[in-house]
Amino acid sequence: MSGRDALHGEMPGFAFPGRPHDEPLLDMILERRPVPPGAPPEMHDLARILAALTGPAEPGELAGEAAALRAFRRLASPAGARSAALRALRRWRSRRPARGRPRLATALIVAVVGLGGTATAYAGVLPAPVQEMAHVTLDAPAPHHRGQHPPAVRGARPDGRPRLRPASPRGPREGRAGGTAQAPGRVRVPRLGHGSPQRGHGAARCCAHDPSPNQNPPGRGRGDPGRSAPKAACCPDTAS
Amino acid sequence: MVWDAPEGRGSAAPGGCRADTGPVIGAAFGVILGSAQAGDEAAFARIFRDAQPALLRYLRVITPEAEDVAGDTWLQVAAGLAGFRGGEKGFRAWLFTIARHRAADAGRSRARRPAVPLADSGAAEHVVSPDSADLALEAVSARAVVALIAALPRDQAEIIMLRVVADLDVGEVARIVGKTPGAVRVAAHRGLRRLAGLTQRAGVTQ
Repeated sequence: MSGRDALHGEMPGFAFPGRPHDEPLLDMILERRPVPPGAPPEMHDLARILAALTGPAEPGELAGEAAALRAFRRLASPAGARSAALRALRRWRSRRPARGRPRLATALIVAVVGLGGTATAYAGVLPAPVQEMAHVTLDAPAPHHRGQHPPAVRGARPDGRPRLRPASPRGPREGRAGGTAQAPGRVRVPRLGHGSPQRGHGAARCCAHDPSPNQNPPGRGRGDPGRSAPKAACCPDTAS
Repeated sequence: MVWDAPEGRGSAAPGGCRADTGPVIGAAFGVILGSAQAGDEAAFARIFRDAQPALLRYLRVITPEAEDVAGDTWLQVAAGLAGFRGGEKGFRAWLFTIARHRAADAGRSRARRPAVPLADSGAAEHVVSPDSADLALEAVSARAVVALIAALPRDQAEIIMLRVVADLDVGEVARIVGKTPGAVRVAAHRGLRRLAGLTQRAGVTQ
């Protein structure tokens, strides 16, 4: 920092070259107080120049008065304020549903689909693939394959009944065509994020139409190889 | 917005030490403001005529779109006048704060628009220095002085205009421009010294 950049308060008593102690005079000019007669001439010139800034309006400077008054009439009068408030209210009312509408619609769709879909799934009237999905995910009854039980695959329940792997939509047709049980590699089971599809999610619910007091709650005993049993008689048509 | 208007120098004019008759309504301001807030158009016109020249001169220093920004400013003033609380000094601080914000908005809008030739933009008037002959006239026009001040660095020019034209004290100016009072005082002094040099070079003499 050079001497010219320093404030007088930072270096008191130091005579800055080319800069007189003019702050009091400059403050007087800024506050539009009369400059003392003994002040330097440039200070008088400065005061005269700045005095021109506070003079009366020059031509054209009040040209916007009509527009300002129109705005005042529209916005500041009681009637104008009332209509402006109504306009703001209308804007608010028109914006508010627009903001909430997608969320509300989504919530309604989820609720309707969730409740209706669950109820329909428990009624067992959904198409087989969808019913299968509901069976696995919502503990709904397994789909009926035209009067047949779903094909059984590996695994068995602790009570000795077999664990059943849900069949894919193509299962019964393939079964009819081939006359044999499905190959394990062809079976599709939706993953739920845990366990292995080879273990047969929801297998304990396969025979939900045949409720048994010994039936395990969903998910229990899943993946326990010691409890597995041969494919058995719950769904005899698919046991090989 | 409610402004706690510090009443001091200015409208009450203690001591009557003003060197000129600035655009100040004075003791009647409260009554006039109350009438305007009640919807009296004549009262609003009185306030407009008192403040508009100073507002326009200030805006001519900080933006090339002074007239448009002044119109936006009065629009906002008209909309918010009913909620204003304060005296004449507070009103001027409020008015110039609005003007400063609208000028900043105009600057941002201008920056987003494609560039236009200077001759067509109306900005030429903003950047051209005043003619020496204009300044040498016995009665220096406000427009010529505004052009001279506009040649100063932006912050110095704005602070001088707020101090002199808007008749705001250091604290109010500091609040408006977001600086400390000390920084405002220093910038004003530097601007005035530079303005004195410009004035001498332009040939403004007694």
